[in-house]
Amino acid sequence: MAVITLNVNGAMRSADVHPGTTLLEFLHDYLEVAGAKCGCEEGTCGACTVHLEGKAIRSCMVTAASCKGKRITTIEGLAAGDRLHAVQKAFLAVEAFQCGFCTPGMIMEAAALIAEGKPLTAARVRERMEGHICRCGEYNSIVKAVLQAAQELKRG
Amino acid sequence: MAERITRREALGVTFLTLAAGPVRIQVALDGTLTAFTAKVELGQGARTELIMAVAEEMRVPVAQVRLVMGDTALCPDDGGTWGSLTTPQAVPLMRQAAADQRGGAITPPSQWKILGTEVADVRGPDIVTGRQVYPSDHRMGGMLHARVVRSPYYRAKLLKAGDVAGVRVIRDGDLLALVSEDPVAVKRAAEQIKCEWEPVPFPVAPSDPQALAAWFKANSTPPVENPNTRYPPLVRRGDAQKTIHSEAGKNASSYWLPYIAHVPMEPRAAVAVWKDGAVEIRGGCQAPFPVRAEVAKALEVPESHVRIIASGPGGGFGGKQRGEIEIEAARIARLAGAPVKLQWSREEEFTCAYHRPAGLVEIESTLVNGKLDTWVHRNYNAGAPGLPTPYDTPNVSCEFHRTPTPVRQGSYRSLAAVSNIFARESHIDEWASQLKMDPFEFRLRNIGDARLRAVLEKLRNVRGGLACTIEKEARIALRAQVSAQGREIKVQRLVYVGDYGAAINPRNLRKQIQGALVQGLGGALFEEVIFAGEEQKTRLLSSYRVPRFSDTPQIDVELIDRRDVEPAGAGEAAITLVAPAIANALFFLTGHRLRNLPLQPPG
Ligand code: FES
Ligand code: FES
Repeated sequence: MAVITLNVNGAMRSADVHPGTTLLEFLHDYLEVAGAKCGCEEGTCGACTVHLEGKAIRSCMVTAASCKGKRITTIEGLAAGDRLHAVQKAFLAVEAFQCGFCTPGMIMEAAALIAEGKPLTAARVRERMEGHICRCGEYNSIVKAVLQAAQELKRG
Repeated sequence: MAERITRREALGVTFLTLAAGPVRIQVALDGTLTAFTAKVELGQGARTELIMAVAEEMRVPVAQVRLVMGDTALCPDDGGTWGSLTTPQAVPLMRQAAADQRGGAITPPSQWKILGTEVADVRGPDIVTGRQVYPSDHRMGGMLHARVVRSPYYRAKLLKAGDVAGVRVIRDGDLLALVSEDPVAVKRAAEQIKCEWEPVPFPVAPSDPQALAAWFKANSTPPVENPNTRYPPLVRRGDAQKTIHSEAGKNASSYWLPYIAHVPMEPRAAVAVWKDGAVEIRGGCQAPFPVRAEVAKALEVPESHVRIIASGPGGGFGGKQRGEIEIEAARIARLAGAPVKLQWSREEEFTCAYHRPAGLVEIESTLVNGKLDTWVHRNYNAGAPGLPTPYDTPNVSCEFHRTPTPVRQGSYRSLAAVSNIFARESHIDEWASQLKMDPFEFRLRNIGDARLRAVLEKLRNVRGGLACTIEKEARIALRAQVSAQGREIKVQRLVYVGDYGAAINPRNLRKQIQGALVQGLGGALFEEVIFAGEEQKTRLLSSYRVPRFSDTPQIDVELIDRRDVEPAGAGEAAITLVAPAIANALFFLTGHRLRNLPLQPPG
């Protein structure tokens, strides 16, 4: 066991963790910041996606220890207070979810993708989100929501 | 009334039961309504539609209604969340209870103000912010984390438990579990511990279609007529057994489906806590009351000493109807002497849950004057749902032959209707091609049901392989446009028309249809659980392909919203048309008739 302290959603958070603990385990199992979801633990579903220094990563594929000194943002930290992020708003408006289990990962991936600032098309969104599984089959709605959010952010 | 509410709230932490029995709707002094149902929200929209039903009949806004779901201590027994029954059964119960409370008559669909509109999913704000709590997020004070140690074999006897440091080992017969306060320590230990197991061989190779089909037939029991069950195993008209032999030009073919996995996004979890000989289990099963009975039986306690609280899991699709994990959690917690949270890994979700049954369907049929005259349909192992044919055929014998199964199998979205409708709709197309007739016209020639004909008519001028049926009272049809390059099949577009009677929430209905169509792509094109020797080889998500963004075509859904007809259930039906519509499109495209799922063109 060793204490690890990480910057999660702007606050320094500590936990006494088992050696080799992944970032997903650190967040979900120790801190109980449960928005990052566990779907496969082998990098194939995307449910665990969070931001590390603003980039979307699979939190099941990195150790918590390797994230020391870096900014971690989870779905809980995406909204600015009560003001939802444009991607969250678009997912709500389109209702791009059913069970909602894939949704935090989808939203985090989409937010990072839009933040890259490159023009997005439906084909490009599909390509970049390909690593995310939605077993409820909301793919087309998710593409619609991501494009809608990108539009919204461009308008400012 | 207020006193009852208070006691109900108090029930959240006790095992007391109410003398008055479960109540459907409670009104608080401030006018807030609390409704109760044992149905579970799986993402199919049950919570919102039931709230809409109460709001409609009580003439209050949706925001004024709270709904308690899936708690056996608080909710009336509404059966499991299965068979698309929430809409045709639970919604009417809720409407009636609310109308009674209001002291008026139930509102007919033609006068709906809230039902029938596109009310947003009430869970939405929590889902997009990560606040929605799933079974794998539950925890409680003093709780230990548990993992079950599994054998590498599909079935095995535990000969010798291994040693492992730093966590507690709990053994109850063949159940070997590790518990610890540390959620990760227990998970790593379960991966590392080495035990000795004796594998139990399969009676037949589950991944060998020829061998398994022959084994099913050799071990099957013919059905006995029982028209009063929900899915009659024998549907008969006329004298099919005779006419199938006396009429000329018989067409006979057989169809095959393998075992497939549900793959809900959330691997299941359960938290069990014992107190005074009673157990309370928080999990995500689809069927709280049936699971309560299972747990009571397995743990040898009265049902009154088991409380199941099933909160919305991350997907179910028919795969979370039984209490596998609730039973394990209760067993482990009893021996651990502390509250226990048991979490299954994705690998356990693949190897320990039951699968959608494999199945063989044989169809023999004849025409008289170009119209279907005899239809003999035998389903081995997959099941009876979907057996009744929507085609006007004077002589019919549709049969479900029960067989043993070499692997654990159970329900799946739409149950066996996937197998029966794949076979029937493929076979119908085979007739059309023999007659050199447009499959669309051949269907119309043989279908009398006016609502199904109206649905089909909407697809008259749309290209693509066709499939249609009457499933769970819904009239549905699908066109699939596909392209094929070698063995790679790409679905380009799906066009779907459905008449589900009055649509309770048209947006949610379209979502359910889209979702079922996407899920159907997997079963049609690539899903199959693989076994070899004594093992299940399919263990990880990376070795089991499910539909992704790139597999999902443009999907157009049109609804015929009939306010004169009570609503039909909708979570399942659409999935049944995907495989046959694609198979029929591929036949048109390539000349190959594919009768086995997943569909794989030769070479
Ligand atoms: S849990 Fe990390 S990708 Fe699936
Ligand atoms: S909404 Fe259920 S997995 Fe995407």
